[in-house]
Amino acid sequence: MNRSLYAGVASLALAAGMAQAASHLPFTPGEGDFNWESLEAFAAEHDFDGEEISVFGPWRGDDQQLFETIIAYFEEATGATISYASSESYEQQIVIDTEAGSPPNVAVLPQPGLIANLVSKGFVEPLGEETETWLRENYSAGDSWVSLGSFLGPDGEERLYAFPYKIDVKSLVWYSPDNFDDAGYDIPQTMEELKALNDQIVADGGTPWCIGLGSGGATGWPATDWVEDLLLRTQPPEVYDQWVANEIPFDDPRIVAAIDEFGEFARNDDYVAGGAGAVASIDFRDSPDGLFSSPPQCYMHKQASFIPTFFPEGTELGLDADFFYFPAYAEKDLGKPVLGAGTLAFITKDSPGARAFLEFLKTPIAHELWMAQSGFLTPYGAANVELYGNDALKKQGEILLGATTFRFDGSDLMPAGVGAGSFWTGMVDYTGGKSAADVAAAIQKSWDGLK
Amino acid sequence: MDNIAGQKSTLTWAVHISVLVLVLAWVFPTLGLFVSSFRTSDQISSSGWWAALSTQESQLPAIRVEGDETRDADLYVIEGELFVGSDTSVSAWGTSSREPEAYAPGETADLGDGEALTLSETGAYRLSGPESWEGKRLPRIFTTASAPPEFTLDNYVNVLTSDTAGAGIANAFINTLTVAIPATIIPILVAAFAAYALAWMDFPGRALLIAAVVGLLVVPLQLALIPLLQLHNAVGIGKGYLGVWLAHTGFGLPLAIYLLRNYMVGLPRDIIENARVDGATEFQIFIKIILPLSFPALASFAIFQFLWTWNDLLVALVFLGTDDETLVLTGRLVNLMGSRGGQWEILATSAFVSIVVPLIVFFSMQKFLVRGLLAGSVK
Amino acid sequence: MHPAIMGLLTIVIGVGGCIGYFYFSNVFLDKVLYPPTGPNAGRNINRANQIRPWLFLFPALFALGLYLAYPVFATLWLSLTDRDQGGAFVGLANYRQMMSEDKFWEAMRNNMLWLFVVPAMSTAFGLLAAQLTDRISWGNFAKSLIFMPMAISFVGASVIWKLIYDTRPEGTEQIGLLNAIWVGMGGEPQQWLTLIPWNSFLLMIVLIWIQTGFAMVILSAALRGIPEETIEAAIIDGASPMQIFFKIKVPQIMSTIVVVWTTITLVVLKVFDIVLAMTNGQWETQVLANYMYDKLFRSFDWGVGSASAMVIMLLVTPILVWNVINARKEMR
Repeated sequence: MNRSLYAGVASLALAAGMAQAASHLPFTPGEGDFNWESLEAFAAEHDFDGEEISVFGPWRGDDQQLFETIIAYFEEATGATISYASSESYEQQIVIDTEAGSPPNVAVLPQPGLIANLVSKGFVEPLGEETETWLRENYSAGDSWVSLGSFLGPDGEERLYAFPYKIDVKSLVWYSPDNFDDAGYDIPQTMEELKALNDQIVADGGTPWCIGLGSGGATGWPATDWVEDLLLRTQPPEVYDQWVANEIPFDDPRIVAAIDEFGEFARNDDYVAGGAGAVASIDFRDSPDGLFSSPPQCYMHKQASFIPTFFPEGTELGLDADFFYFPAYAEKDLGKPVLGAGTLAFITKDSPGARAFLEFLKTPIAHELWMAQSGFLTPYGAANVELYGNDALKKQGEILLGATTFRFDGSDLMPAGVGAGSFWTGMVDYTGGKSAADVAAAIQKSWDGLK
Repeated sequence: MDNIAGQKSTLTWAVHISVLVLVLAWVFPTLGLFVSSFRTSDQISSSGWWAALSTQESQLPAIRVEGDETRDADLYVIEGELFVGSDTSVSAWGTSSREPEAYAPGETADLGDGEALTLSETGAYRLSGPESWEGKRLPRIFTTASAPPEFTLDNYVNVLTSDTAGAGIANAFINTLTVAIPATIIPILVAAFAAYALAWMDFPGRALLIAAVVGLLVVPLQLALIPLLQLHNAVGIGKGYLGVWLAHTGFGLPLAIYLLRNYMVGLPRDIIENARVDGATEFQIFIKIILPLSFPALASFAIFQFLWTWNDLLVALVFLGTDDETLVLTGRLVNLMGSRGGQWEILATSAFVSIVVPLIVFFSMQKFLVRGLLAGSVK
Repeated sequence: MHPAIMGLLTIVIGVGGCIGYFYFSNVFLDKVLYPPTGPNAGRNINRANQIRPWLFLFPALFALGLYLAYPVFATLWLSLTDRDQGGAFVGLANYRQMMSEDKFWEAMRNNMLWLFVVPAMSTAFGLLAAQLTDRISWGNFAKSLIFMPMAISFVGASVIWKLIYDTRPEGTEQIGLLNAIWVGMGGEPQQWLTLIPWNSFLLMIVLIWIQTGFAMVILSAALRGIPEETIEAAIIDGASPMQIFFKIKVPQIMSTIVVVWTTITLVVLKVFDIVLAMTNGQWETQVLANYMYDKLFRSFDWGVGSASAMVIMLLVTPILVWNVINARKEMR
């Protein structure tokens, strides 16, 4: 009995070891159009044989596998081992770990608002002027990235603390090209055309939009993207920046107007599948399904670049589903604003290995390796754009580069109590029938409460 | 006499039926998840799980024509099957989302430009046209069809062998057991002694202590996480199994003491008094009399504590860590769901993968619970 | 060392250590410190008996103090200070801020409802299940099935019930059981989780569904413990099954019923996973525990978060008082 138990345990341990040993390098070094020199140069400069670096990030599932391929190259180059960890409640976990004094070496988070909080408590190490200069020089629109990663330290000084790595574009409208062809619709180039298309679809007996705000504990967030995108299309970017910093109050008429602009889409029973009352409770993961049902429940779905993960199985991007840029008003002359999001890496426990990992993120290869797979966009000019893994990514990359204005997701920049709290819940109330002014006033009140 | 027997059997029937209703009401929700775990995500989101067993006629999502192009005289032809490996029968079909039911099976649709498409009742199609489709988008076929029930084990294969979870699921299993077993046994033992003292020993402050235990039952776990991890880091335990065991012991103790004390208070006084008179020490009384008599209570608490530690995610993540080596089963399964949340088929399957062990524990412990060991001695 | 082996070792060391501690500390007390022999035998026995309870209690008190009492005091302190001001003492400012929030009062209202409905329904169903299943041949099987929800984590349970409450647009096939039935009866598909005030009850059903198994298991053991003679006597007296149940059995297991009720009440006070996963307190379903979670980990407002935690702990006071009274009664 005992022996068989031990034998079982031993064989299990062996199996686990084997699985670990088969760490995969999807692209053989030296092959393809990758910037392998940058990897070699990096490897030559850094040797951390046997050092352990702990990295904590938001990526799980497929994203985790992709990130682990990047890690594998770093390990190959330096001899260090990286233990990557994530968790469903990663925002909470990182707070607990830093507060309790057992942080990872490097953490990656998608919420600058949360990072700001950690920085102000003194849990994050500054990255130094050199990295700041590097970002300015190497990322397109470098200044905006520097300001994104800069926060007020515990001493009240603003410094660069976090390094942006991996970007998502949010200003995308997904549709089924076949359904557009069947009905004879053209892709709208301006907001005016888009609104005309809404009415056209309704006149033809269809429903233009699938909108779902449901997301468990985060219910409401998809609506914040709508409002941000619409604010960028109705007001100059300076208004957006002041709004995010709460220099313009949330219940300013300009912001209220943007919320009502969203209401034009979401609070119109004719415009949304299932009627306006269903918007808040339909799960955002299920809502794009309506594009592909028979007969189609809707023709368009606005969501960030990650959404194809939730399309029905076998949906081929570019063929069964495609996207277009969420257009801007032709008459407002605000250019082509793009809303985006992304993740930022920062050091929570300093070590030479942690520094080296952030150095690694400055090599083109660290970007190219992920670009060539899927779901990764980068503003890093030295990364080879030809390597994007599919046409959809390439097109998103073009939207990113064609942007006259790029702004980071405002709800992520706001204090978490607003951006991940009252803004979400406020939008749910709004779709439930409260007036935009009331909702905005309530959000502003919660923001005041945080000061 | 007959009358009483008749009443009795009606009553028995009533009992059987009410239990059946109760059981069905309780099982139905879980059954839904169980059935869903054998369906694809498309099936889950297109029809109710109760329909999974019957043949259903529904409008299926469009399927795109695909296959190798062949030449037939001066026409280019693509032939194929829409439904490979299933007995689906088509009742109507179409090629446009506007008119998904335009044609009957066997009819030929004119797609314009000399292109034609025919679909048979079994889903065999033939697309023909004067030009090659090379590089062009092929038409889609909308069908209204009835399909026999279909189940798949793919979800389980996916959960148990995928790269993210599969590589470590055996490891995670052992980790979870390593967490759960000591975290079940130690608090029971500690609590049993304390419960005995609170139930049968006389000392000042007893009532106050009992009240304190009840008060501590309500402490929200989230509050304790940061101060305790801080403490563990300070005394050098850090993150590890010892920390998890201690934490689960601490968090599980109030309920254990509360339940066990209330049970022990109900034990017959004379047995204990007699033993005392006979000169048995308190320790002997506890080991030889109290423990055996409290077995059902110990067993039921053991089950609850085991279930709680097994299903726990938060405590394990905080006190044990989240990397591949130390991740527990719940952590693994949750990680499967990707950074942007859950898919129903994965959630359903994960729930059943993780529920297996608790159910085995419950079934095997059940006979201790209901053995009626104490018949006649609980008040 | 492999964790599994380490686990086995720990069990051995832990269990052995516990037993060893209890055994040797008692031996030490009886044989060395206050031996019940010699001139002071009587006084020694008394002293030993005064100390012994604390020997039995010490490990539990230590763990409780460290893992629960200490965080409570830390929380109390946090609720009176402001971290953004470097932990300065601010008195009741956090409480005042909390009281001024509508969401807090909404959570209070809902919590009261939860505190009444969930323990009552779980205990009632549990008692019913325990009583009925004890009388039939497949009772154990039925018990296992009713108990099964206990084995499912809160997150899993939320998934199950979300599937039941799911809504699809009108005209498409409903995949949620509730809407399927509703539409089948001729209604329009409803957004159940946004339907005030029914949505709160729909969330409570989830917890009742989970907790009934707990109530049933404990109550079933108690029912089996009732002495046969009392029931037989009642049957001979011609009592109906209903009378036997309500007049003979229920009073005899009253103390167990109260324990079950108390335990479920405490679970209700702490529950937030279900609310978090299903509505996150939207549509007027907020409860205190989720409010606290929101303040602690979303807004990072430790002051108000801790203050709401103190409110949760205050709500337990009636149960506390009742337990003190009860314990006093037992001592007599």
